[in-house]
Amino acid sequence: MNSIAEARRVAPEELRRTCEKRIEQWQPRINAFLGFEGNTLAGVPLAHKDMFYRAGRVSSCGSKIRRDWVAGETAAALERLDAAGFADLGRLNMSEFAYGPTGHNEHFGDCRNPWNPDYITGGSSSGSGAAVAARLVFGALGSDTGGSVRLPAAACGVTGLKTTWGRVSRHGAMPLSHSLDTIGPLARSAEDCALLLQAIAGHDARDPISSRESVDDYSKEHSGLRIAVSSAWIERNAQPEVAAAVLSAVKVMTKTPVEVPPPDFDTLSAHCLVVMQSEAAAQHARWMRERPGDYSSAVRARLESGFAIPAAAYLEVLRARAASLERFCAQTLGNADVYLLPAIAVHLPTREQTGPRGGADMPKLLADVTRLTRWVNYLGVPALVVPCGFDSRGLPIALQLVGRPFSEAKLLAAGRAFQRETDWHTRVPA
Amino acid sequence: MNKVTTAEAWSAEAIEAALAAQGIALASGRAERLARGQAALLGAAAADPVLGGLEFEADATGFAHAISRLK
Repeated sequence: MNSIAEARRVAPEELRRTCEKRIEQWQPRINAFLGFEGNTLAGVPLAHKDMFYRAGRVSSCGSKIRRDWVAGETAAALERLDAAGFADLGRLNMSEFAYGPTGHNEHFGDCRNPWNPDYITGGSSSGSGAAVAARLVFGALGSDTGGSVRLPAAACGVTGLKTTWGRVSRHGAMPLSHSLDTIGPLARSAEDCALLLQAIAGHDARDPISSRESVDDYSKEHSGLRIAVSSAWIERNAQPEVAAAVLSAVKVMTKTPVEVPPPDFDTLSAHCLVVMQSEAAAQHARWMRERPGDYSSAVRARLESGFAIPAAAYLEVLRARAASLERFCAQTLGNADVYLLPAIAVHLPTREQTGPRGGADMPKLLADVTRLTRWVNYLGVPALVVPCGFDSRGLPIALQLVGRPFSEAKLLAAGRAFQRETDWHTRVPA
Repeated sequence: MNKVTTAEAWSAEAIEAALAAQGIALASGRAERLARGQAALLGAAAADPVLGGLEFEADATGFAHAISRLK
């Protein structure tokens, strides 16, 4: 019983018992759940990052400020999953206000990597990655503003999809940066991500940026997809074990990769940060003035940064966004369908290295971990993270497939094709 | 390089004053670190040649059209 399709053939009570047994076994080790007061609808068990509101239920957003805040409405994505027959087992751990890439949380305790609890889970959807990896649930929603679905998917060895900006309604989900925020699934396979996306995608009048683009059939196969890659860049810049795993995966995916120059990751990432910091500061301005001491020092520092960005600089970066997307589609993708690169180019750091007592090299460690995810959010395009190996410490390695806007169906087809040929996604932490 | 965002990096004093004007109080020593970080970030963003080549008419709302047009 390792997929949503298989689970649908099992009695709901048995599914729930199986998941609850796993939770009992794993929760003390990984701290993935923040609460279990979810609805009791029968169906395939899921759980979600604690920033998707459900009417009458606490949604802490991983924060002290909202520790006891009860939502007055239910997130559009949860409504759609309920309607599609999925069960919600509860609220998952996350970085405070989804503003951190590691999974640390000083208010509720860090979420820990099921493969080795000394290492980061990735964030901010830390509980989503850890819970799916440890097989506590069949899937989970996360949000991705700078990598928050893809980093935990990569670090925990599960499949995660960052959707096109506007593809999934953000109504009833905690905002961080409205120009960048997206919602997407983490699951055991690309096949399962497709099923979850099918349930949640589509226009919603309650979200002003929700797209009216038609929703594709995400289980449809797309053969002959052309894969672009920057092999020399990967060899030069990725840690050798990561480079070897990702370049081996390229060979599995295609006999004829299209070699292209890489996008300017660092400049596009800087644009993403300018937008994220500015918008997050505006979102949190009142609390930052009235109760700054209720934030962790790391999140408070990130929020302070946004108040030091001139409005003209923020808007200039947004003015360039369409041209940057055009350039990516024309110059990087060209005639290809998908651009393949590592999700995280370096070895995962430990929780201690990147936590409150981290050393002087912590900013560089965090920059290295997030180097290949933020640029995607600035461009607004979709990206699928798929496990493709393990390093010598037994921690997962993952690749990332990036496509044109609204090309989720092609990314998921490419992911499914890769997972038919490999078994990395079936590995489970002991 | 684009001139608007790279005219001059803000000093720690300027950062502290700008944040104070917005009601944000900084811990001791934080303004210096913030000034260094923001100078690097804004400098990296401003180095993008795409900024210099933008049409006068380009505005931030153009992205919503681009994301549909380039699917």
